[in-house]
Amino acid sequence: MFLETVSLALSSIRRNALRSFLTLLGIVIGVAAVIAMITIGSGTTERVKADISKLGSNLLTVRSGQPPTPGSAPSKARDFEVKHLTALEANLAGARAISGASQKTVRIVYGTESLSASVTGTDTDFFTVRDWAVALGRTFTGQETRGGIPVCVIGETVRKQFFGSGDPLGAIIRVARVNCPVIGLLESKGTSGFGQDQDNVIIMPMQAFQRRIAGNNEVDTIYVSALDTVPTTEMQKRIETAMREIRKIGPDQDDDFNVRDQTQIANAMTSTMGVMTGMLSAVAGVSLLVGGIGIMNIMLVSVTERTREIGIRLAIGAQEWHILTQFIVEATVLALLGGIFGIGLGLGLAAIASYAFAIPFNPSLSVIALAASFSAVIGLVFGFFPALRGARLNPIDALRHE
Amino acid sequence: MPEQPFIEFADIWKSYGEGEAQVNALAGANLRIGSGEFVTIMGPSGSGKSTAMNIIGCLDTPTSGDYRFMGVDAGRLDRARRAVLRNLYVGFVFQGYNLLARTSAIDNVELPLIYRGAPRRERKIRAAAALERVGLSDRIAHTPAELSGGQQQRVAIARAIVTEPTLLVADEPTGNLDTARSHEIMSLLTRLNQERGLTIVMVTHEAEIAAYGSRIIRFVDGHIASDEQNKDRPHVS
Repeated sequence: MFLETVSLALSSIRRNALRSFLTLLGIVIGVAAVIAMITIGSGTTERVKADISKLGSNLLTVRSGQPPTPGSAPSKARDFEVKHLTALEANLAGARAISGASQKTVRIVYGTESLSASVTGTDTDFFTVRDWAVALGRTFTGQETRGGIPVCVIGETVRKQFFGSGDPLGAIIRVARVNCPVIGLLESKGTSGFGQDQDNVIIMPMQAFQRRIAGNNEVDTIYVSALDTVPTTEMQKRIETAMREIRKIGPDQDDDFNVRDQTQIANAMTSTMGVMTGMLSAVAGVSLLVGGIGIMNIMLVSVTERTREIGIRLAIGAQEWHILTQFIVEATVLALLGGIFGIGLGLGLAAIASYAFAIPFNPSLSVIALAASFSAVIGLVFGFFPALRGARLNPIDALRHE
Repeated sequence: MPEQPFIEFADIWKSYGEGEAQVNALAGANLRIGSGEFVTIMGPSGSGKSTAMNIIGCLDTPTSGDYRFMGVDAGRLDRARRAVLRNLYVGFVFQGYNLLARTSAIDNVELPLIYRGAPRRERKIRAAAALERVGLSDRIAHTPAELSGGQQQRVAIARAIVTEPTLLVADEPTGNLDTARSHEIMSLLTRLNQERGLTIVMVTHEAEIAAYGSRIIRFVDGHIASDEQNKDRPHVS
């Protein structure tokens, strides 16, 4: 009986194939949007987490100002200077390496070629804390660091642009009007989870960067790599205590800096993704609602068109619930078909996106099952009213209907 | 104690509208039909004959008065119970055949059995047997569009008798057919009446068709104007 009702519904849908398809578009688009968003979102999160775990879980980042919270602008605070960095190095136990870094995006010129790249001023420990080795040449010497001598370690993208696959060592490039000999080439890191080219960089000694490029004494970020024997949370506390001391913050004052480990950064990124996914899901929900109204509309048309058929069925002994079931099943099958098309389309879009942005493609079975059952429920809910109208028809009037 | 009549109308009124606009389709009709009779109902349009037929077939209920069908107070049953009564005991034949389009003859015929909850195999066997009785064994897979008017009406008769009803209600069953096809259909109904003792109540406005009935009732203005036995029935082979 049930299978027959389903096959009856399918043949009725097939009879009006174009009309049924157009009715379904709302649900198809809604479900496809949800499936694509969630699949792409989870792939991106996974990629970001993988990138961060490559950095090492015992890396802590210290920045000035309160950590930004959703809805409020990042607070301004005194910038770090080299003296803070030196003081921290002197007062912190359990650190494997401490490094300060500042960053600025400037124009780089070599011969007739030029490009825009991110320049980082830092010290030799930077390569240790960021776990970033040179593929060719060397990093800075202590003398170069202390003396503020402009020398450059370049990223793979910069090499490709200026030297192709040739040897860049010894060449002199102009970094924001400062002549700077190339002393090393960094290992390639590729593109980050957010599509950023991590190889379009130049690393130079902090003093040279501050004096010749940034024109100030600021240190943007202090990286602390903890020893494996010291837990990250313990290290975070030690840094906070030391920094309050160094920055002379009174006991009743808030920190004017923030210390975060990589998991916290990952969580912040993931929660941002979550907000975006939630907003898009709300839009998709509206689309599903519109799709449901479309189904209700088409089912009302279908009931009116088949008034005579309903009259015949009622006359020969069909109960109201037989008619009710017939039309509800038809609406549910219709909506479920829309859901299945939508899931296919959404997975297709997610597969294309994962190929284009090099993120993992791992569709979630539970999300697919949820989307399918949700669309069936839409059919059930929005099919009920038209079906009830059909079931309540008076058989005599229905038989007379032209 | 007198035998319970098969069908009994006792002072039946059926009114539509209210107040000044009220119309009485039936105004105090009294009628008894015994089991195995072939009754034809005639009368001008608006005389109440269709209303009477709808009440007899348990599709409608009277505004006042008693309608008893097979001893059951059918005039006071609710919708669901009347549907059960129709499914078990009443077959319907309409002027416009009323078959489901794009549905094969056998699928049309088995429809009442679906609502009875009969298993698929039994339905197919009984539907095929019913089609054989109306002489359409070679047309079971044809859809209504592939059948002539006379053949469609025979499929409709097969659908009406597939449940082995006790009453067949026919509303102008030959209204859409030519003379030759009309007589074929009437012969078929006569044979069902005579061979199986199926009670038939038929509405028609053609005297020639009405003549097939064993009893002819005329309605005028919601009353029964005449009710007589018919001795001149056409011979049916």
